[in-house]
Amino acid sequence: MRQTILQGLEQAYGNLVHMIADFLPRFLVMLIIIVLGLLVAFLLKYILRLVLSVTKLDQVSEQAGASGILRAAHLPSMTALISRSVFWLTWIGFILLGLSVLGVASLQEQISRLFQFLPEVFVGILILFVGLMTANFLSRAALLAAVNAGHRSARILSWSIRFLIWILTISMTLEELGVARETVISAFSIIFGALMFGLAIAFGFGGQDLARKVLEKYLGNTPQKEKDKEPQPL
Amino acid sequence: MAEDTILADDLIRQLISVGEVDLLVGISSHSNANSANHAFHAIELSFQKNFTRQRAVIVNVRGGDTGGSEVAETSDAGAEEMSAPSARSLRTVHRVTADFSVLPSPGLALRTVMTAADLLRARACAMLSSGTSDLTPDRIANLLAPVFREKFDFVAPLYSRHKFQGLLARNLLYPMSRALFCCGIRELYSDEWAFSGRLAADCLSQDVWHEESIQTRPEAWMAISAISNEFRCCQVFLGQRLQSGTGPGPDIVEVFRHTVGNLFWCMESRQSTWLESKTLESVQTIGPEHELTSGKTDLDPHRIFEMFRNGVAELGPILSTILDPETHAEINNIVACEESAFRFRTDLWVRTLYDFAASYHHSVMNRDHLVQALVPLYRGMTYSFLMEHADSSATELEAVNESLCAEFERQKPYLMEKWKAKIEVKS
Repeated sequence: MRQTILQGLEQAYGNLVHMIADFLPRFLVMLIIIVLGLLVAFLLKYILRLVLSVTKLDQVSEQAGASGILRAAHLPSMTALISRSVFWLTWIGFILLGLSVLGVASLQEQISRLFQFLPEVFVGILILFVGLMTANFLSRAALLAAVNAGHRSARILSWSIRFLIWILTISMTLEELGVARETVISAFSIIFGALMFGLAIAFGFGGQDLARKVLEKYLGNTPQKEKDKEPQPL
Repeated sequence: MAEDTILADDLIRQLISVGEVDLLVGISSHSNANSANHAFHAIELSFQKNFTRQRAVIVNVRGGDTGGSEVAETSDAGAEEMSAPSARSLRTVHRVTADFSVLPSPGLALRTVMTAADLLRARACAMLSSGTSDLTPDRIANLLAPVFREKFDFVAPLYSRHKFQGLLARNLLYPMSRALFCCGIRELYSDEWAFSGRLAADCLSQDVWHEESIQTRPEAWMAISAISNEFRCCQVFLGQRLQSGTGPGPDIVEVFRHTVGNLFWCMESRQSTWLESKTLESVQTIGPEHELTSGKTDLDPHRIFEMFRNGVAELGPILSTILDPETHAEINNIVACEESAFRFRTDLWVRTLYDFAASYHHSVMNRDHLVQALVPLYRGMTYSFLMEHADSSATELEAVNESLCAEFERQKPYLMEKWKAKIEVKS
């Protein structure tokens, strides 16, 4: 009896030692990979920041209206955002690589699923960002054009354009991520269709005179009186 | 060499057959434009009357479908449509054509003409637009003569105008370019100007021809280059400004993009020139300095004021990004004034423009949008000008213009400070 207990304990101890002897090198390898990843990530961040400052990305981003979006979302400058993103992506990549070295089967499965989902997340973020930038640019262009042409409801027009592009962008992002794909498409179709129908009815009932004026102006039935009322600039 | 890359083989062949010339007139025309024929006759008549002994060539930079309106390659007697000249040219007036599939941009047209001038060693060149039907031989001679006879390198036109026309040139382009580039040329943006072969060669050697600003309006850059590189410049009175014979007047936003945007680009590309303090170079004027007429107009000041007020209100967030907070606050204050009491003060106008120029330099937003955002403020200035100077004489208006130029010069340090300031990017 005593012998059996001692044998069991010895076996358990042997297993534990074997497990530790098996796990410890892997754990050390994981730690080395994570620390190495941290160094690589820091190095990449530094190099990228240097390259982006030389190429004046912040200036280009200001010009394109991307910095405005980032500021509105309380995010840092484009250079800082990209370099920090690369730092975290690199390091997280190394951490996941390190974790996979541990050889925990369930963890490996989760990591592999995460890696499979990652490209879709990136594409989703890209669509969202480009969409917001486009909305910002086009709504500002519409606002300026409408104001300079003397339209009174310039801001409504600008916001309508911004809103439409936002809806389109969000729908595309959700579809890319695969979140309730069918619901999103149906919701988008309903919202977009309703909006267009509403605008058409509103324009038909309320904007008959405006429609006539616009058509007359573009079909050349009336001379360019508006322009004549301003002095020639040159 | 520039001519290796830009001139087509056919054009080079035509130019070689012409040989060296004294005078060259470049004209940009659409293939089907009848006004081009009128322009050719006016140019030929001008050569026959005023430059009898000189070798001359007309370079027609033509774009679009070439079917149906071919012009003769040479003409020695020409002028069917105009009255006979008192003297006949002793030389053949050559015509060469540079064909493009579409109408080339003004920048490409000028580059083609200058490259041809360089190849033919032309001494005096003029650039004209064929879009006007009032081109006269004397007008062309007046442009060419200062270059050919008095050795000037750049000749800008001067025009007679109604006192309420050309306000963008008078209240922005001229005083700003004068204060910054010490450039006393009143009409930086026009469709007709003349230059020497020496200046053409200098301009061709500069690597700017791919720039959009040069493609759309190259003349201001050429004038500023001439002043900066100490070429001899003058301006010559030509009479009424010629307007395009077809279509409505130019759209104000397009004019802003092509002139104000161009001037801001010149500031950016030539910042080393204007950031150094220089004294104003006097530019000789041939003929009257200015001629302002007055008379009844169909302007609608109330509508202009409404567009200004509406614009400032609607563009509030955009203006707050471009303007200094103090400048923006002052503009908001004057917008709140009654229409009858509204005045756009000169110092505020200058500060506004300098804020726009600095924001353009720092690219606080898309540059094209930035320039467009200035239009409502220009309307405010225009309204103020119309109200203040309804009864002013030409002499009084000239004094007002001088004081505006002085204000631009006085506030130049403010612009330099804003220009050199580091852009604040939240990180």
